[in-house]
Amino acid sequence: MKSCSDSSSLLASPSRRAFLRGVPVVTAAAAVAPTPAIAATGRHQWAMLVDVRKCIGCQACTVSCIQENGVPEGSFRTVVSTYSVKLTDSAQPAGTYVLPRLCNHCDNPPCIPVCPVGATYKRDDGIVAVDGDRCVGCAYCVQACPYDARFINHETNKADKCTFCAHRVDAGLLPACVETCVGGARIFGDINDPNGELARRLKEAQPQLKALKPELETSPRVFYIGLDERFSGKVEGEGTLWKPRNLQSTAHG
Amino acid sequence: MNPNIVETINVAREVAWLPWAVQYFFLIGLSYGAFLLSLPGIVFRRPTWGGVSRLALLGALVCGLSAPVALLADLHQPGRFWHFYAYFTPTSWMSWGAFFIPIYLGGLIVYGWLAFRPDLARHAASGGRLAGVAGTLAYGGHESRGALKAAALLAFVGAALVALYTGVEVAVVRARPLWNTPLLPVQFFITALAGATGLALVFNRFSSRDAAHTLTLSRVLAATQALALAIGALWLALGVSGLSPVHAKALAEVGPSANWQISAVWAAAATALTLLLAWKRPGSGLLVGLLALHSAWMMRWSIFIGGQEVPKTGAGYYSYSLPLGPEGLMGIVGTAGLWIFLFVLITSLLPLDRIAAGAADKAGV
Repeated sequence: MKSCSDSSSLLASPSRRAFLRGVPVVTAAAAVAPTPAIAATGRHQWAMLVDVRKCIGCQACTVSCIQENGVPEGSFRTVVSTYSVKLTDSAQPAGTYVLPRLCNHCDNPPCIPVCPVGATYKRDDGIVAVDGDRCVGCAYCVQACPYDARFINHETNKADKCTFCAHRVDAGLLPACVETCVGGARIFGDINDPNGELARRLKEAQPQLKALKPELETSPRVFYIGLDERFSGKVEGEGTLWKPRNLQSTAHG
Repeated sequence: MNPNIVETINVAREVAWLPWAVQYFFLIGLSYGAFLLSLPGIVFRRPTWGGVSRLALLGALVCGLSAPVALLADLHQPGRFWHFYAYFTPTSWMSWGAFFIPIYLGGLIVYGWLAFRPDLARHAASGGRLAGVAGTLAYGGHESRGALKAAALLAFVGAALVALYTGVEVAVVRARPLWNTPLLPVQFFITALAGATGLALVFNRFSSRDAAHTLTLSRVLAATQALALAIGALWLALGVSGLSPVHAKALAEVGPSANWQISAVWAAAATALTLLLAWKRPGSGLLVGLLALHSAWMMRWSIFIGGQEVPKTGAGYYSYSLPLGPEGLMGIVGTAGLWIFLFVLITSLLPLDRIAAGAADKAGV
């Protein structure tokens, strides 16, 4: 049986490649006996760093998240928002800007205090989660989230959002979106582990480290490198051309 | 809008508070507004308010009883409504609201029964339709002033709490700048009072057609419309001048939208027209009544559905089209159906004319 510390040391491994080498071991161990909720110890504080410069906008994260979490058609826990931006300093007329979005697992999450039944909560490891057995589907949290990260799942009729793939993290695995990121743009880890890749990368990127909507003081646990100021809040531009929700108009419960 | 940025891929989040929520906020607003209108005539016995207040009380009861059903239907897990009471969360205004609603409705129902008890007895004595049931409900038909005042006080506390929570619950949502203004609860309250006055005017038109009632209600309506316009102007001034950052943010969010510009002009014009008619032509009771109801509903529709059409992170606006099923049109029609059912039920036991006439009704004496 793999111990908690074993799995955590793997997550804290100095490189993503090293982590990937260890994944089959952890997976096999998890299948034999699920690791206890390492989060409950409070030793780990999970966070994500998104290096926008490395994102190629392939939506592999979007698809893997849907596959991993059984997200209903037309709903998304993560998506790579894609923008066409007119260029003034280049021979090209326009470029593409991509911005992976997900729940920010804020340290000061606006979704938690509004929940009328205490169904939304922050785990000891920093992951903001929804207790599906308690959620009444009132959607107050959906309104309160400033990142549009929440939605009502039409199959469960409960609030839904990114969980950092808590079920995988608890088993010592990486979130599905991180695992499948082609460009290595998503780095996941424990900010409490000073030797971990995440802490190291956060430290290196400190001067250019940004978060979405910092003025709201939500203290996101999703950090960005290469975040253009024009995209850190509500984007001023022409609206989206793709409205997958229209497909769902008859399935709304 | 920055024409240099075009969003090509993003998620269009659909509305999560459905038209049911609009119906709830509309009906509960009408209810507490109508309850307030019931006080001068029934509790304070102001001579010109007797019939007006009794008609208003009918409106408070019908709207108050139908509103929670709309609220329940807006939950995506309505069967779990008891979680509100099992897992009280003091940080959530919605959680408090779950306790405020029964306080208000409990007080209102007792107050309504005590107020209409003598009328039920008169109706029973006159041998009218469902006289037997009315007689049973009258339970002697005594007028209990002390109990009535106590129930009115309880309902008043409940109404104040409901008005507070329904406004603040929305206004605290920082993620939606349009909602996150301190004036929003005031706007909800004023338009609720105006809508309730409109409802009483409509009831008056279909009952006694009392010109004095119409005049009294028109005066109240004119005052509410003047207040609504003043608060709207203040909202706009705070936004345009930038004196209040939250109002400036709210204005910036919807200002560039042509749809919102039309809605704003429509709302302002409807309010001004209602004010003008109620002031200059106070006899046009039905028209101004319907106009006031329309404005109260439209304000809530624009705030809730329109507000959810504004993306929090994405560019532009989402486009909402009303679904025809329970999550859309049927929610509105269903709530209206329930409202009509309750209206028919109550006025079957106590006809509208008898409510409007009150103690002056000689039929059962």
